[in-house]
Amino acid sequence: MIKHWWKALAVLLVLYTIILGFLGPVSRLPILNETIRVLYFHVPMWFGMILLMGGSVIFSIQHLSSASPEADLKARETAVTGFFLAFLGLATGSIWARYTWGAYWVNDPKLNGTAVTMLIYLAYFVLRSSVEDQQKKGRLAAVYNIFAFVMMIVFIGILPRMTDSLHPGNGGNPAFGQYDLDNDMRKVFYPAVIGWALIGVWITNIKVRYEKLRLLKNER
Amino acid sequence: MLLQIIQIFKLNVRLEWQQRQSYFAVVLYVLTTVYLTYLVFNGIMSPETWNSFFWIIFIFAAVQAAYRSFYFEADRRFLLYFGMVKPQVLVLGKILYNFIYLIFIGLISFACMLFFLGDIIADPPAFLVLLVLAAAGFSAILTFVAGISAKAGNNPALPAILSIPLIYPQVLTLSRTSIRALTGFSWELNAPLLLVLLLLALATLLLSYLLFAYLWRD
Repeated sequence: MIKHWWKALAVLLVLYTIILGFLGPVSRLPILNETIRVLYFHVPMWFGMILLMGGSVIFSIQHLSSASPEADLKARETAVTGFFLAFLGLATGSIWARYTWGAYWVNDPKLNGTAVTMLIYLAYFVLRSSVEDQQKKGRLAAVYNIFAFVMMIVFIGILPRMTDSLHPGNGGNPAFGQYDLDNDMRKVFYPAVIGWALIGVWITNIKVRYEKLRLLKNER
Repeated sequence: MLLQIIQIFKLNVRLEWQQRQSYFAVVLYVLTTVYLTYLVFNGIMSPETWNSFFWIIFIFAAVQAAYRSFYFEADRRFLLYFGMVKPQVLVLGKILYNFIYLIFIGLISFACMLFFLGDIIADPPAFLVLLVLAAAGFSAILTFVAGISAKAGNNPALPAILSIPLIYPQVLTLSRTSIRALTGFSWELNAPLLLVLLLLALATLLLSYLLFAYLWRD
């Protein structure tokens, strides 16, 4: 039981953010209105995705240095969960954009970054599926994963800072920090980030265990 | 090491020159796509459209050209190289070859676009500088991805799928800068963007150098 405390923590944190996220006090702003609550669900998906993709790269580096099949399996499953969170982040952001910017998709550096990230990881999955040999597959995928991650960080971390964005906090649009005078939103936002990230790790954990069992069964 | 890189480069030139038809194929590819653009967009070519078409045509020609980088090594020949040169030397030689090849492709695309779609460039030297930066940035990524797809069994769709998402950062910066070369370029104003392109090229070169040894190990 001692080993599983973080899973209970993840559930409690996410429950807390769902309850306070919908019922807690938020800043009253024109255009944004109640949609500001998307902050608790949309932004943590991106934090979780970056965390998981970073984890995937660490497993890839591990695989390159040790050639262990387990590290390769972990790298793949972490990337899959990261991709799933990216998809959820895109979906929540898209619905929100419809009611604030007036369209599901707009030409914005952050949205371009998202699209690129998802295309890069789709290419990663295609690369995995087009190689038969397990050893070779793991190595090619690991090498591509590291290369792709660096380019992704450049794209979503450096380039948007050189141009304006429609997102709050960019290009003259204030971030939520400036509105959140009494720290009400911070009290929900930070637990949300930690909670959703832990849920992501948990999903990956289950998937890795499942895959291991499946491999074991196939061997028999 | 420098000597070995140049030797690999020379070897590549000689091997490719024996199969000259691949050069003509790329040139013909550029010619037909530019002419297609001319037919479809006849008369309504604004600087923005000129710019977008130039980069799209150039990128697809570049992907096609670089795809051949490890064409000869897909068989047993890489085993021979493996004993003779370090993989880092091999990849740097190939990148150098592709860099020069991509500059030529860029110049040919540029000339074809000028001929068919009209001379609307306000600052040609600035555009050519951007072309060299583009060739530098693309050559490392495209060579590296060609290496991956050669190892993955030469699936013809793979190079485009793997490399195009990776060159988005550069393409976005390039097309945003080059539209200014078409309409009037200021070196001081665009210096940070040129620096970003240079740093991106160096970063991809470094990544290829570091990761290629793992890719080439068998």
